Amino acid sequence: MAAAQIIKKIWQAVRQSAVIIILAATAGLLINQARSNSLPLVADWTLKVRLASDSGESMVISIEEAKDLCSNKGAVFLDARSPEDYARGHIRCAENIPWQAFDEYIERVWDKIPEDAWVVTYCDGETCSLSEDLAKELVSMGYEKVKVLLNGWTRWREAGLPVEKGVKQHSRQLV
Amino acid sequence: MINKYVKDGIMVVGSRLILGVLFIYASIDKIIQPADFAEAVYNYQILPGFLINLTAVILPWLELILGLLLIIGLFQEGSVLIVTGLLVVFLGAMIFNLARGLGVYCGCFSATMDGTDNAPMAWYVFRDGLFLLPAFYLFHHAFLGKKRTAKVYDQ
Repeated sequence: MAAAQIIKKIWQAVRQSAVIIILAATAGLLINQARSNSLPLVADWTLKVRLASDSGESMVISIEEAKDLCSNKGAVFLDARSPEDYARGHIRCAENIPWQAFDEYIERVWDKIPEDAWVVTYCDGETCSLSEDLAKELVSMGYEKVKVLLNGWTRWREAGLPVEKGVKQHSRQLV
Repeated sequence: MINKYVKDGIMVVGSRLILGVLFIYASIDKIIQPADFAEAVYNYQILPGFLINLTAVILPWLELILGLLLIIGLFQEGSVLIVTGLLVVFLGAMIFNLARGLGVYCGCFSATMDGTDNAPMAWYVFRDGLFLLPAFYLFHHAFLGKKRTAKVYDQ
């Protein structure tokens, strides 16, 4: 096929693409407007907003507060990473609830959380959302005292705070 | 020769139908649950915050319209161009997250993570790569293929 024909086809495709995209945008925006629970077109997806509770209080916990809670056993830490990552190393006072296998693990750990204790979830990395997902699931289950230690594993190690390796007894049967 | 053209015709129609049904199927749950799909888009950690909801509102309709156009056979060049582009972008996003170890939920065919579809990202990458085969075939046919229809009538 001659180059001129290919260029003609590409122009045709670009014009058609513009029509298709305009159609999709119009349909999407109109239907969204018509919905009773329409989505705001621009929303604040920053962690600060995402991790605010219904009362507006932030669920984010600082490394200093987390350290105090771990050392005085005032909280149960929940590691949302995979069992393999947990076994390679975790915060000393942490139990493992891999987010991908939440239902399987939560029953084992649930009894270990005293009713008046705080729960601190964490995973690893600036972009990791597992701890956030886990925390929100716990809140939706009715647990109110939940905090998230952002980028928890890396920050905990960098701060030289106590860590452990291996799998605890309750998790061993599941791994 | 005519048999070859007929075979090519079946390949083109087959590829269009496969991708058309795939895109329509992929769009439905996202159209029903845009908030959950926005969450899936956010989890990819690729788009800036101000584009997440806009993407969640428009992309499912784009998929639906593209699926319908592929099946009906209208706007072939345009729909093949966008479909191939979208599949490449989806695959790129998955490989990007696989490379940086971000085990996000795919969000490919369902807006929510229901706990039954938690296959590793590598599987999604492989699957999306397979979807690219009919897309590339159609792309080649639409833009680089010879004008076969005229030849058929010349026989």
